[in-house]
Amino acid sequence: MPEGICIFAENYDGNLDNSVPELVTAAHVIKAETGEKIEAVVVSDKCSVLSDQLAKLGIDEIYTVQTDHDPAFQDDSLGHVYAEMIRRIAPSAVLIPATPAGRSIFSRTAAVLGCGMTADCTELKVAKRGDRSFYIKQNKPSFGDNVFVTIEMKPGVFPQMMTIRPGVFAPYESCENITSKTSYFDDIEMSASGITVMEAVPAAAVTGSILGADTVVVGGRGAQADGNMELLKQFADKIGAAVGCTRPIADTGVIPFEHQIGQTGATIHPRICISLGVSGAIQHTEGIKDTKLFVAVNTDENAPIYNVADYGINADMKEVLEAYMKL
Amino acid sequence: MNIAVLIKQVPVSDNVSVDPETHALIRSSSEGMINPADRNAIEAAIVLKEQTGGKTVVFTMGPPNAEKALREAMAIGCDESCLITDRCFGGGDTVATAKVIAKGIEKYGSFDLIIGGAMSSDGATGQVGAMAAEYLGIPHISEVSSLSCGDNGNIIAEKRYQGMQVKIKAVLPALVTVNFGCNEPRMATLRSSRAAKTKPLATYTNAELCMAKEDTGLAGSPTVVTDSFEPEHAKKAEMLTGSPAEMAARLKELIDSEKGKE
Repeated sequence: MPEGICIFAENYDGNLDNSVPELVTAAHVIKAETGEKIEAVVVSDKCSVLSDQLAKLGIDEIYTVQTDHDPAFQDDSLGHVYAEMIRRIAPSAVLIPATPAGRSIFSRTAAVLGCGMTADCTELKVAKRGDRSFYIKQNKPSFGDNVFVTIEMKPGVFPQMMTIRPGVFAPYESCENITSKTSYFDDIEMSASGITVMEAVPAAAVTGSILGADTVVVGGRGAQADGNMELLKQFADKIGAAVGCTRPIADTGVIPFEHQIGQTGATIHPRICISLGVSGAIQHTEGIKDTKLFVAVNTDENAPIYNVADYGINADMKEVLEAYMKL
Repeated sequence: MNIAVLIKQVPVSDNVSVDPETHALIRSSSEGMINPADRNAIEAAIVLKEQTGGKTVVFTMGPPNAEKALREAMAIGCDESCLITDRCFGGGDTVATAKVIAKGIEKYGSFDLIIGGAMSSDGATGQVGAMAAEYLGIPHISEVSSLSCGDNGNIIAEKRYQGMQVKIKAVLPALVTVNFGCNEPRMATLRSSRAAKTKPLATYTNAELCMAKEDTGLAGSPTVVTDSFEPEHAKKAEMLTGSPAEMAARLKELIDSEKGKE
């Protein structure tokens, strides 16, 4: 019977990605019910540095494949290396961050193993089948309707592979002396890749990034009406806020898609969030966490945004903002 | 360069609901559109074709009415199209879908490059491109912001990762997925729309692809949707009252007070 909760330790240039401590927390949610070990897989040319970092996160078993060059972006080859590692470890579950690298590499791994992969989970629940074996109910927001869906692997499909939305689970705090065991798979060879990295230079800073912003103003479909978007931007300037938006607005191109918040965009942690003309579909609201003040302005008094906001203003955003600009 | 473009027809808005019995998405209106990121894929393909010659063939898997999306892609400038449609392909997860798409591409002919949008606006898993590349046995680069021709049979893509701007080369044949907004998609004109009506459209059902039924659709999916449920929280917001001016003043108080806390 497959056993163990295995996490993909995403890494770049000898550093673990921020998603790793979050995956450890998610793995503990499962471990609390099943008592399984927590394992990590890592493929890199800097394995010893990375396994030291992983050991501090209290991972029981670390499995590594040391490469003779930096394998970043060689996802055609990496997908196979991880698939072979997972075949040998035979975990019951594999947790992957829903990041570009996680999706790219493990889509191939899932295809190789034929096990499928649930995307963007926000909640994991352990349940028992009739034969008392454990399985994981993988919950995620559905497109469109204001509902969550539960996805499961069909009985007998292992491992249960899923990507976890970044920012949902709190990062695991390093713990008392837990001893980790590191194993090297010396005989797993990385095959030649069709991918070569030509150049990597520090990227120009994104201006007005919403990711670290303390105050964010979010525009939804209601902000599309005449002149509202201009007013929204003036309001954001006045209160010193970054501007974010929902998916339908990003699709129109009025606000760059890097500023889109929710399931297909960013997860933000602002202290203050003012939401304008946003109905509040969960695939959007799941992207806003840990606010201290959340005010929603909407013309629909039953808008689901009022389920997550602290204060609601049931009015036309235009009238409220025009009044605000005069203050 | 012969280029395959992978597109998906998605609902026009969030105008879908979840069937309480089967937990499947119900697209209440038959209205569909080309997934926004796939428009960027079409544009990238046409630009590369204009530079290198060859042809662009647009593929989609979906119900028969997805022909509309293919005709539109041809009106924008793709040369040929292929509709992969069969009841037994429906309801598949990403693994089952990628297998069918890979098979369809192989059946159609040989391509130097396959381009798709990085994510759909409905499912948004971002998995199908990389999975199809795996089933085709070719390298892929995902979620790129630009694409250009390299010398002697390479494609060069750029993407941002961990604060770095990275330039990556793939040997052809390869698959690339492009980010939404990475270029300015051109529009169809009246004349090009008329011309698209006579451009080739091949239809592949499972009679052509000959896949084992247990590999496709619901049967071929390792994952299954078992439940759907409402979020638990009830209305939480305290509603402000008064005239717009009064509510704006109260909003300012709230913001100033929170800002003053640190």
